[in-house]
Formats: sequence, structure tokens, C-alpha cells
Amino acid sequence: MPDTHPKRILVVDDETTVCQSIKLALADEGYSIDLAASGEEALRRGDLSDYDLILADMMMPGTSGLDLLKGIQSKDPAARVVIITGYPTDKAASQSLRMGAVDFLPKPFTPAELRAAVARALAIKARTAGMKD
Amino acid sequence: MRIRVFRAVPDLPIRLKLILAFLAVIGVGGIVSLFIGTRIMHRTIITLAQDKVRHDLSAAWMVYNEKLHGIADVVRISAARETIRDALAAGKPAPLAGTLEGVRRQFGLDFLSLTDARGRVVLRARRPENSGEDRSSDPLIGRALRKEDAAATAVLSRAELLEESADLADRARIETIPTPMAEAGAETREDQGLVLEAASPVTDDRGAVLGVLYGAILLNRNFEIVDKVKDIVFEGERYKGRDVGTVTIFQDDLRIATNVQNETGARALGTRVSREVGRTVLGEGRAWVDRAFVVTDWYISAYDPIHDAGGRIVGMLYVGMLEKPYLDRRDAVMGTFTGLAILCALSLLLILSLLTLGITRPLRAIVEATDKIAQGELDHRLRIASRDEVGRLARSFDRMTEDLQKANANLVEWGRTLERRVEERTRELREMQDHLVQSEKLASLGKIAAGVAHEINNPLTSILINTHLMLEQGDRIAPFRENLTLMAEETSRCALIVRRLLDFARQTPPRMERARVNELIERTGRLLEVQAGVHHIKIAMDLDPGLPTIELDRHQIQQVFWNLTINAIEAMPDGGTLTLISRPGATPGTVDVEVADTGVGIPRENLTRLFEPFFTTKSSGTGLGLAVTYGIIERHGGTIEVKSEVGRGSIFTIKFPAVKEGDRDAGHASETDPGRG
Repeated sequence: MPDTHPKRILVVDDETTVCQSIKLALADEGYSIDLAASGEEALRRGDLSDYDLILADMMMPGTSGLDLLKGIQSKDPAARVVIITGYPTDKAASQSLRMGAVDFLPKPFTPAELRAAVARALAIKARTAGMKD
Repeated sequence: MRIRVFRAVPDLPIRLKLILAFLAVIGVGGIVSLFIGTRIMHRTIITLAQDKVRHDLSAAWMVYNEKLHGIADVVRISAARETIRDALAAGKPAPLAGTLEGVRRQFGLDFLSLTDARGRVVLRARRPENSGEDRSSDPLIGRALRKEDAAATAVLSRAELLEESADLADRARIETIPTPMAEAGAETREDQGLVLEAASPVTDDRGAVLGVLYGAILLNRNFEIVDKVKDIVFEGERYKGRDVGTVTIFQDDLRIATNVQNETGARALGTRVSREVGRTVLGEGRAWVDRAFVVTDWYISAYDPIHDAGGRIVGMLYVGMLEKPYLDRRDAVMGTFTGLAILCALSLLLILSLLTLGITRPLRAIVEATDKIAQGELDHRLRIASRDEVGRLARSFDRMTEDLQKANANLVEWGRTLERRVEERTRELREMQDHLVQSEKLASLGKIAAGVAHEINNPLTSILINTHLMLEQGDRIAPFRENLTLMAEETSRCALIVRRLLDFARQTPPRMERARVNELIERTGRLLEVQAGVHHIKIAMDLDPGLPTIELDRHQIQQVFWNLTINAIEAMPDGGTLTLISRPGATPGTVDVEVADTGVGIPRENLTRLFEPFFTTKSSGTGLGLAVTYGIIERHGGTIEVKSEVGRGSIFTIKFPAVKEGDRDAGHASETDPGRG
């Protein structure tokens, strides 16, 4: 069933080049992409729960990715968050997943890997949403 | 001086001290006893001599008085003769002259004379022609006139002597010789004579005194008495050419009859008694018994005063013994005594010397032993058997030395043990320090790596994404496809390096599980087969099937084996043999794994840095492989060592620890751990 509305994705990373690159990589996929340069900025958005997927960098000054994850989940327990990080450790991965992130994507990644991860995450969302519904 | 002497004494050897002390005792004792002995002996001998001389003087008196009594007897008996009585009674004494002279000569009288009843001389035997002189004033004649027999020593003047006989006066005359110790100022004297005189009354039938018969011998120059005494008492004993005994009759202080000889050997007539004797005997009328200097020699002498009939002191009777024989005898005794004393002292000294040797020899042995022990000869023993204090000291000393030896041995042993322990501890410490340094390096590197990875991964993400996005543009970028592909690959390589760095820095605690190390080795071998074949490398395995299971993180240990074997293969570019060995470790429960190659080997200077991060000899290496390996083994509580020889190959040995007792049943706990996705 084709969706008329494009999926909305919020990319949160203090590295603007990374944000831009992700937006570029996903540009042809038909998503509506917004960018936020920090966890605080993301949380300030009133429409945070409207996003279908949030890509959040784990290590950011101030509000970290995991803080953001917690904040989003308090507003929308069904929110889909993929944690990306430049410091991919077992501990970080297991912690994110335990806290409810749908995936964990270590930097650096190719556009293909990114797209696959986003598609996978949205699919999970669709499935859980379906279950929810 | 005394202080100095006593200060010097402690420096002397004990033996000398003892000998000196004994010498002092012997010396003082000897001198004192010699002194006292000499005094006692001298006194004894002199006393004995004085007793003897006193006794001899008595004997002399006996002879003297016997002579006097003899004269008295002659005079009395003669006075009783009838011819004399009758002649006197008839008043015609002249015819008696022959008779009297006969009597005089027969009995050795010097004169014999007759008086009448009034004391007038009527007849002299020597001089019949000289008569008429009144002698009644003579005390002896006076007593005879009173019908008494009288006899005594008497002094007659020269005139009186001349009356009796001219030669008597000459005999009586004795020249006075100056004598050194005599009383001064008595050199001139009358030429008197000392006589032994007796007088007896001549009586008629009725007892009336008819006259007096008197006679005498002159003692001057009459040596009969003195020589007789000498002969009887001293038996003519002589000493060194001199008579031992001497007898003298003094008239007053003058020698008138003597056998004392002067320097020329003649009788010392005319010499005088010493002043001291004269004053005692003549002056005070006391006897003198002492040593006295007589003419030329010292005599042990006795003097008695001679009294006349009136009690007047008229002379002295002297007996003397030459002192010299006594002194010589005393000296001889003293010499013997002294000789004996010296002999005794010498004997004592010899005995003492031997005795002190007996004392000091062990002491010296102890002193020498002390020196030896001080020089380290601790097995030296005295072994002195004596039971005295020195023996006890020696035994204590031996015991002490033995203890010392034991203590020393212990000390040496302790020293060795300590040295060994210090070496061990030093090695352990060095190893621990190396280990710690390595760990510190790894830890700090981990932090850096984490930061670097985070910072680098961000730009790498942008580069990787954009390079790939460009590559997705198809023909539009055809001229740059090759460049972009290179860029993408190199970026990926960067990403790989960063990932390795992170792997290393991650220091994930191993997820322990019970495993058979042989399984991991065998799997590694299978994975290597292709690569080994390419490089013409033979893989040899020597795995002990009886190994105990150990606890390990399969993934990490697999990575370790992989790292080591890949390194080994790279070390053998021209082929060779890779040997994988497993065997039980030195302590029960432990396992050793060896990865050996026959490759190029590692230079000595690189061996120590081999496990340092980023140390690499390969152009394409990250320098993290062995550092990661080291970290993993360390986290497993094991060790990894390398031995290598350039040109012959290297051997890496991993020692896995035994399973801890408490963890025996925890083997499967890791199965339930949530794994990384």
C-alpha cells in the first residue's frame, strides 16, 4: 500500500557535514529529511513525535544520543531511533539496543549501508506499528 | 714515681706481672728475714760468746785466787815452823835466812820476810842485811799482828819493792805506751807494783804473837797466771796466727801481765785499757762484759775489778776472746743462710716460672685463637682440658666460637637466600613493571584511540558517503570513476585502521567459557590452509589430546591465534614450516601453546618492543596486531613470550592459567550473555 505522505526522518548530529552527507545519501529515497545540530535542538522541536525515524549521533556535547533517545521515548514510546556513532563499542551498542534503539550504525558507513539500515528500521516501525494498530 | 710504676705495670704480660709480684714478695721477705736472721744470729752468737767469756773470767778468778791461796798456805805453814818461832822467840832471826830463802825459792815467791811482834822487819829472805823497817802499817801485816792469816792483792810502792829486792822494782817498772782509746792525762805514774801478798802471825805456845811472816809474788811481768788461764780455758787455741783467748791483769788501767799481743807479736805490756772500760770498771767498780777494742783487735771481753784488802780497786782481771772468729763464724752461717735463701728464691722463681707458664700458655693460646678467629678462622678450637678457670674460659671460648661459626654460617645462608630472593623479587618487579608499563601504554593508548576514532570517523563518514554518491552518478563521472574508486577504497582502509584501533582500545573483558584450546588451534589451521598453500608453507601440528579444558573467550583467543599465525606466514615469504604445538604447562591445569615459524626471525633490538602498539616492521601493517594479542592474553591472566633468532625463525609461547577452583561450574555462564549484534 503506497503511502502518499513521504516518511519523515530527523537526523541529529553535531557534525553538520555528517548531517549534510546523510541528507544527500537519502535524498533520492523520497524521505522528508530534517536536520538538528544538537540533542537540545531536536528536543525543542514540537513535532518530534511526528517523525517516522530519528537518526541520532550517540556522542554529542550536551544532550547525548542516548539522552535524546530517552527524551523521545518519554513523548512517544513507539518512536524509532537508530543510534549512529563514531565510537562503536560493544558496550555502546548493547546499551543503545537495551534502551530501545531499533538499530546501531557504526560510522563510517556507505550510502548503501545507510539506506539499508533506514529501510530496515522503517520496516520494523511498520511492523510494530502494525502490531500496535 | 709510684704512679708511673703502677701505670707501667698493666702493660706488662701477665706472666711477667706474676713473676714480678712473687719476686717482690720473695725479695722483701728475704731481705727482712735476712736482716732479722742476721740480728738474731749475731746476738745469739755474741751472747753465747759473752756467756762463755763471763764463764772464762770466773775460771781466771779461780786460777788467780788459787795462786793467792797458794801463797797464803805457804806463808801460814812456814809461819808455823818451829825453827822460825824459836828463832823469833830467841830474838835471833838471822840464822833463818837460809831457811826462808829456801822456802821462797821452793814456792816461787818473789819475796818472803819476817817481822817482829811490833811489825818491824827482822829478816828478808832476799836481803838479809836489810832490816829494821816498820811494816805494821801494811794492812795485811797489821791483820797478821792481830793473829789473823791474811791474803790479798796489794799495791806496793817502788820504795817498798826496793826494800824487798832491787830487781822487783825494776820488774815492776813498765813503760806506759800511748794507747788510742785510753783515758787521757794518766801517762805519768809511780812505778808501783801489784802483788799477791799473804801474811801470817808467828805465835808461841801460848798464842802470843812473836812476829809476822809475809810473802808475795809480783804480778808485774809475771805471766804465770795469765798464761795458765789461757792454757786451761782456751787450750792455746789460735785463729789466723793470733791467740783466740787473752788474759790480762791490770794495775789500775795499765797492762802489767798479759798475753794480748801488739802489732809486733810481743806482749802488749804498758798499754792501757780503753776509756769506757776504765770508767765502768775502775771508776764504778762494775764488771764489764761486752765487745771491747783491745790494743789492735775487737774482743768479746769481760773485766772485773781487783780489790785490795781494804776494798780499794787496784786493778782489773780481764778475759777476752778474739771477736773475729765469732764474726767469721757468724758471717759463714749468714753466708750459708743467704746462699740458701737465694737458692730457695731461685727455686721458687723456677717453679713460679713453670707455674705461670702453665697459666699463661692457655691464655696466650686464647689470645692467639682470638686473632685467628678475628681473621676468619672460625673452625679454630682451643681444646684445653684443664679444669681450672682458664680451662673453663677456654671451653666457653670454644663454645662461643662454635656458636659464632653457626651464626656466621646461618648469616651466610641467609645472605644467599636473601640475595636469591632479592634477585627473584627484582625479576618479578621488573616483569611487573614491564607489564605495568605495557598496560599503562595500552590504557592510555585506548583513551587516545577512542577519541581519535570518534573524531576521524565523522569526516570519514562524510568522505565515504560523498565519494559513493559521486560514484552513483554513472556516466557523468566516467573520467573520474577510477579516482573516486581509489578514494572510496582508501577511505574504507582508513575506516578499517580506525576499527582496529578501536578493537585494540576497546579492552573488552573476555567472556570466559570452558573450551578445549585444541579445537581453536585446529580451526585456525583449517582457515589458514588456503593462504599457507599460496605461500608454500607447510602447517605442522602437535597437539596433546590429554589437555585439560581451560577458560577463555573463544572469539578473542581465535583472534590471537589468527594474528600470530598470519604474522608467522608473513615472516616466511619464501615458504617454510608453521608449527602449532599444545602441551600441559609447568604447573598442573595450565596449558602452553606454541606458534613457531622458520621465517626471517626478529632482531634482538626489536624483541622488547614487539608488543608495543604501532610497532611494525611491515609496510602495510597497523602495528596493532601483537599489541591486541598481548592485551587479550593479559586479560586472560596468561603470558606470552617470544624467542627468536634472525634467519632461523621465531617461537611465540602462550601460557594459559589453570581454571580457578571457584569457577569450575561457571563454564556455561557466558552462553546466556547478550552478544554483540
